[in-house]
Amino acid sequence: MALDTLLFILTSGILLGGLYALMATGLAVVWTTLGVFNFAHGTFVALGAYIAWEVSQQASGGLGFMLGAAVAMVVMFCVGFASHYVLIKPFERNANLVLLAVITTLAAASLLENGILLTWGPRDKQIAPPIGSKFELFGATIGVHDFVVLGIALVALLALALFLRRTSYGRAMRAVAQNREAAELMGFNVSRLFAAAIGLSAATAALAGIFIGSLRFMNPAFGADPLMKSLVVVILGGVARFTSPIYAAFIVGIAESFSSYFLGLYWTPAVLFGLMIVVLLIRPEGLFGRRVKTL
Amino acid sequence: MKYAPPFQRTNGFWPIVAVMAVLAVVPLVFTETYARHALILVFIYAVLASNWDLSLGYGGIVNFAHMTFFAIGLYGYGITAKVLGLEPWLALASGPVLAVGFAALLAIPILRLEGIYVILVTIAAAQLLLQIVVSQSDYTGGTSGMVLLPRLTIAGYKLSADGRIGYYYLALLLTVCSTVYLYKLERSSLGRAIKALRDNKYYAISRGVSEGRIRLLTLCMSAVFPGLAGGFYGAYLRVASPDVFGLGFLTITLSILLLGGVSTIWGSLIAAFVITVVTEWLGDFGAWRNIIIAVLIVGVVVVYPGGLFAALQECWGLVNRFKTNAVAHWRRRFGAADRKAVMGATDRLIDTRHGRISVCDTGGEGTAIVFVHGNSSCKEVFRHQFDAYREHYRLVAFDLPGHGVSPNADPDADYSVEAFAEILRDLVDQLGLGRPAVFGWSLGGYVALEYAAQGHPIAGLAISGTSPITKFPDDMPRGYIPSPHMELAGKRFHSPYEKRNYATHTIGPDTPYEPLVWQAVWRTDGLAREQVFATLKTINWPRQMQLLRDGRVPFAMINGPSDPFINHAYCRTLTYGNIFGGAPRNVGTAGHAPFLEAPAAFNALFDRFLCFATDAKADRSAG
Amino acid sequence: MTAPLLELRGLSGGYPPVSVFRGIDLTIYENESVGLFGPNGHGKTTLLKTIAGVIDPWEGDIVFAGNRLNAAGRMAARTSRHLNYDLFRKRRIKAATVVEQGLIYVMQGNLLFPELTVEEVLDIAPRAARGRSGIKDMHRRVDMLFPRLRERWHSKIRYLSGGERQMLSIAVGLLALPRLLVLDEPTLGLSPKLRIELGEAIGKIRDSEVPLIIVDQNLEFLTSLVDRMYLFDHGSITREIAGDAMPSHDEVMAMMFGKAG
Repeated sequence: MALDTLLFILTSGILLGGLYALMATGLAVVWTTLGVFNFAHGTFVALGAYIAWEVSQQASGGLGFMLGAAVAMVVMFCVGFASHYVLIKPFERNANLVLLAVITTLAAASLLENGILLTWGPRDKQIAPPIGSKFELFGATIGVHDFVVLGIALVALLALALFLRRTSYGRAMRAVAQNREAAELMGFNVSRLFAAAIGLSAATAALAGIFIGSLRFMNPAFGADPLMKSLVVVILGGVARFTSPIYAAFIVGIAESFSSYFLGLYWTPAVLFGLMIVVLLIRPEGLFGRRVKTL
Repeated sequence: MKYAPPFQRTNGFWPIVAVMAVLAVVPLVFTETYARHALILVFIYAVLASNWDLSLGYGGIVNFAHMTFFAIGLYGYGITAKVLGLEPWLALASGPVLAVGFAALLAIPILRLEGIYVILVTIAAAQLLLQIVVSQSDYTGGTSGMVLLPRLTIAGYKLSADGRIGYYYLALLLTVCSTVYLYKLERSSLGRAIKALRDNKYYAISRGVSEGRIRLLTLCMSAVFPGLAGGFYGAYLRVASPDVFGLGFLTITLSILLLGGVSTIWGSLIAAFVITVVTEWLGDFGAWRNIIIAVLIVGVVVVYPGGLFAALQECWGLVNRFKTNAVAHWRRRFGAADRKAVMGATDRLIDTRHGRISVCDTGGEGTAIVFVHGNSSCKEVFRHQFDAYREHYRLVAFDLPGHGVSPNADPDADYSVEAFAEILRDLVDQLGLGRPAVFGWSLGGYVALEYAAQGHPIAGLAISGTSPITKFPDDMPRGYIPSPHMELAGKRFHSPYEKRNYATHTIGPDTPYEPLVWQAVWRTDGLAREQVFATLKTINWPRQMQLLRDGRVPFAMINGPSDPFINHAYCRTLTYGNIFGGAPRNVGTAGHAPFLEAPAAFNALFDRFLCFATDAKADRSAG
Repeated sequence: MTAPLLELRGLSGGYPPVSVFRGIDLTIYENESVGLFGPNGHGKTTLLKTIAGVIDPWEGDIVFAGNRLNAAGRMAARTSRHLNYDLFRKRRIKAATVVEQGLIYVMQGNLLFPELTVEEVLDIAPRAARGRSGIKDMHRRVDMLFPRLRERWHSKIRYLSGGERQMLSIAVGLLALPRLLVLDEPTLGLSPKLRIELGEAIGKIRDSEVPLIIVDQNLEFLTSLVDRMYLFDHGSITREIAGDAMPSHDEVMAMMFGKAG
């Protein structure tokens, strides 16, 4: 195999890994904080991308892209924040919270997806990438935009990690995830912290969506794939540490890249899901962790 | 012991017969193909959702790969009938076999996992299967699916002929078989093991329920009919496409299950009809259709998680409550003469802190005796005592709230043994009974015990058909003989058969017909029964037992030797500080209600107890 | 006597539809500490959680320092069993309001936040007292009371011993600048040595004029710390015992369960 092919597979794998890391971390934040899986996460990705596309139409080039990204993240934070009060809070004392949340988030995903379809129509769209230039590395052509995307994704993750570790609000968010009642007795507004966690997760999802929308074409149903990939990543890595899903994301990204090249497109998802079942069978807590939920 | 009457003796029997009759006639009335097609879809969704309920509702296993059972049935039929060229009816049978096989495979990862992980692994399994189906396009037709699957025929008659009437009845048969199967399964010991594992896993395991085996069986048994329905769907529509793996199909079935309500078979059947009609009606709205369904799901889950079946039951409960209250009102108004003829005194309503209570008071100066009746009965059960003692004592009997001619009351606040004891206390105060002797029968026995244990004035305490207990619920199986009737005592809705059964057994099968007592069983507010049993656990039981041990109050236990409920041996082992006759006494050959079944013998004995109680009181005041 | 600090009048509550405690009347004055003693599983913790605002009371009043903490009147009955009342009903008491007033409840067997470090927890602990002066002072006092916590400053709570965890729980409570501190079984599962150590610390807190409500299963431990005691049985207060007549263990057993035999 030629070096340029290998390098091409590797860089596209790493880029995918960065995107998956961004999406999976958002999913993991909700899972560890509220103890539920947000099945609308993929649709948050899609909705964020569509909002960014809509805004980026207003101004051209880099400015439009930046503006779109900013607006989309703010709007998605609000959507996520509100969705806690609609989808999860009403039955937070119910013993079947986990199941009910799966159902309401699935329904919300369907709702948002069809909302996107009604608003923007079924035709494929793409957000114009602000940086079009490419460069060659050992014979492989790589877009500068890809590198910028990867960089921003990693910076965003770092910022999120610092927020959770160093600020009082972030610490409170982690606290409420670990012992809801104790946090309530310390005077924290538990619902608002939960809502903020979903909001943050939705904002990172939007960022991921914007990147995907600028790298590929998007259609109203394109949230399904990111959701499934984030699920695989979170299961694979576990959520014992903030970094666990990030490592797993790069593994999955590179594995997917290789598998698409060698096994073909059809088999790649099958391999990933097979891998996920095997991991769930052998190490349900994920490859990198103890059986605990934390941030 | 769980009480499970045969289906024809439950309240559901006649409605189901009526619905079946309607469904059998409908295709003859609506002859256009579209109506039949819609109903066939209803049947398929009903089978899918109600069988999903077996694993999700009863088993507590959130299996998101349930639709793959259906898909396997569909593709199984397609491949065996079209590719392998098997006889279509035989190919139909391959569906359930393959689906059960897949369910058994699926059980392997599920056995080790809990909660959200079960959802994830089943989603992954469904996706994996989809990828395999799509990639094997030589056999499955890949993403475009299979077309022109063989159709079903009976002796050359195509089931699709005459506007698909054959398929309609086949689908109806499938639904009936599936429902009978689920109904029987739920009531079998396996069904109970499945529910036990869901409700309290570790307790069930410690009682010998094998978790692995039951989970495996739950999954396999929930796969049988979806597999069959899949094959039927293939034969009916003659196409098999990978859409059946899709989220849309899953969402509709899930919304049927949730709208109907989990852990009820009937809910899914009703909801399948409602959702299919709604979606067919919304069919023209495209994306709006999905949005409306999504909002509906969130709405049901968030606002009314019980679903349609629970709503039906609640409506039925409201009707029942209104009806019983109206009956009580009517009888208060127009039956007073009958009751006076029986009791020798008119009854009147007295306000207590737990609602208005109908009280029959003979008045007079002597020592008062207060009678407290039992569950689903009325004050007129004591008519023989009113006959015999009227001359010597002041007799007071009252209908508990929700019983007899007392109006219904607030279920949360007023239906509990403690509330009943407070009513007794209020009556003693308001009627100026001083230190009455209290006789309590069955549930009334606990009311009397609680009244005495709270330290209110009492001259003597007699109970009948009541086992005093120390620890609830541990002592219940010791104090009572396990029998299906115990289950009836706390059941909210009785079918007519159950009412007859209850009435006969509480007052004894040989007792001549007691019109007022029988009427009382029909009149009783079902919530009173249910709520009183639900609140038994809050009673301070040790205090009651301590009262009996201390012997502060002269006490008698007068039972019927052939009482079908209480355990006489248990009652004899308890310590009594001041019991009349040294031990619990028996009367004649009576059953649960000795005072009604053998009034002469009972009255003689009770008379002696009253002397014993007054003497004891004299002793105490002298000492 | 001084004005009542906490007054419960006819308080009833539980987990609907199960009533756990009924008709509780209890008064606590400034500068006194009060004990609550009774068998396990009879509703003490549920009562304290209700006062702390975690669970809604059914009826009755919770008056703290002259302010009523819960909504007036009786909780309406739930006529429908399946309707999600959490959606329509407002909470009748809010934990945030309760802690801001200075009524601090330290949970039983408190695990706090297993993955946070001691430093992180003590950083977010004064949330209820934010904006008030004296937090720095309290940090110093906590350091003096529980010097052990400094030694474990950067350890996660999951690695702390039971005693250290209990100390941290109390420290967290103190950092909210309590006007009344409620300690629910502080010695649960502790060794006798640690119990003595913790008892000394609680004694110091009491001497610093923070009123206390203490629940404990060890009668001697309890009577050494409190001025007054309530006996709690089957969801109601059955007796109040004044400080000068603290009974022995056997006497209390006789009061609660009747004479032996």
